[in-house]
Amino acid sequence: MNTMQSLPLLQNALTVGAILFSLGLIGILTRRNLIVMFLAAEMMLQGISVSLVAWSRYHGDWGGHVLVIFVLTVAACEAAVALVFVLQAFSRTGRLDSAAWQSLREATVGRTVDHELPSIDTVPPRFPTLTPAGILPAADENEPLQREHV
Amino acid sequence: MTPLPFDPLASGPLLAGAVVATAASLWLLLPNGRDTSSARWLGTLLGLGALAAFILAGRRLGGVGEEAVFLIVSLVAVVSAAATIVSRSPVYAAIWFALTLAGVAGVLLVLGAQFLGVATIVVYAGAILVMFLFVLMLAQPAGLAPYDRVSNEPFLSALAGAVLLGVLSLSIGRLSAAPAPCCGVPSRATATPTAGTQPSSDVASESTTATVASSVAPAIDPLAENHVARLGGELFGRHLVAVEAAGVLLLVALIGAIAVVSRGEAAQAAAASPSAGRSAAR
Repeated sequence: MNTMQSLPLLQNALTVGAILFSLGLIGILTRRNLIVMFLAAEMMLQGISVSLVAWSRYHGDWGGHVLVIFVLTVAACEAAVALVFVLQAFSRTGRLDSAAWQSLREATVGRTVDHELPSIDTVPPRFPTLTPAGILPAADENEPLQREHV
Repeated sequence: MTPLPFDPLASGPLLAGAVVATAASLWLLLPNGRDTSSARWLGTLLGLGALAAFILAGRRLGGVGEEAVFLIVSLVAVVSAAATIVSRSPVYAAIWFALTLAGVAGVLLVLGAQFLGVATIVVYAGAILVMFLFVLMLAQPAGLAPYDRVSNEPFLSALAGAVLLGVLSLSIGRLSAAPAPCCGVPSRATATPTAGTQPSSDVASESTTATVASSVAPAIDPLAENHVARLGGELFGRHLVAVEAAGVLLLVALIGAIAVVSRGEAAQAAAASPSAGRSAAR
């Protein structure tokens, strides 16, 4: 069997790419943190890359590989420029919230209103602790020095 | 190669159930401001069920080893991708995304793209993700911000994602319902010049002839031997102009980023007022 043109492998890889793309789409539609939206966009690019490489393997062709290299390049440029924009947006509003810029929306789109959220920070986080080292245990006067039975 | 016959009656409802379970699980798991643990458990269970359905509906690969490796790396990629978009803290989201990149690199390695797998790790996880974390540490307020605990329209977005995923998996499943593309695919390495199904120009047929003449062993994966060298040859041979354009794009992005930063700082120094607004907004 020719392992180069393997249709099941192509289909499985395309399914993984489709799942990654859809998850990225849901993320960029729902999340309001600018950084997380950006991560979701990068995730969509990852799904596209997986699909391109899968087709490239199926056809035995270099086109998908070359295209993924350019996707990497453009993603690096995009990350640099967009993170600068995110930093500028943060320094102007003090928030990484996309709804902080909702005055840019269309006139027919409703306003995003934040409701009061139930507090979840009432319980302080529990961090793991280590036993302090170098402290002798308290001496017990009544403790026998030797056991009666081994 | 003998493609398995596509059975829409068997895998169709399975895929539909998987897509619906994915959407419901994401709707339950996305931050909605309530943080009830029962919804989280139910969402996790639905997500696991959707994963199992996707695995069952997936095609069986040739060998057990290849299948196990592909299953593991794709599960790592998909699960951590879901965790990226549902985690409340953006720092955790970035770390989950690093795990997604590791899984995607594994998938690329299974697909035979060694250079791209390593480049994904180096460029994404090494450079872009670290840049994200730097920005997060510069800009993230202490604690969980209220805008990280709510979502924009989680139900409609999960529905849109489910529709897209359903259409994509339907068209992926119908790939094998088509006549077997084994020898009819006009790939440059295996197709003979006369076997092309669509009319091609003279230049294309000439290059096809040349490629067939140069690669005489179509049974060997042409992407496997001398991988990086041949990829470099392809990149700097046929796509040299595009490489130059990408270099110009990188330079422009670098200069643009620096210019935007310096202009923003100058404007901030001129205004000299937003510090009070920032502390009030926190």
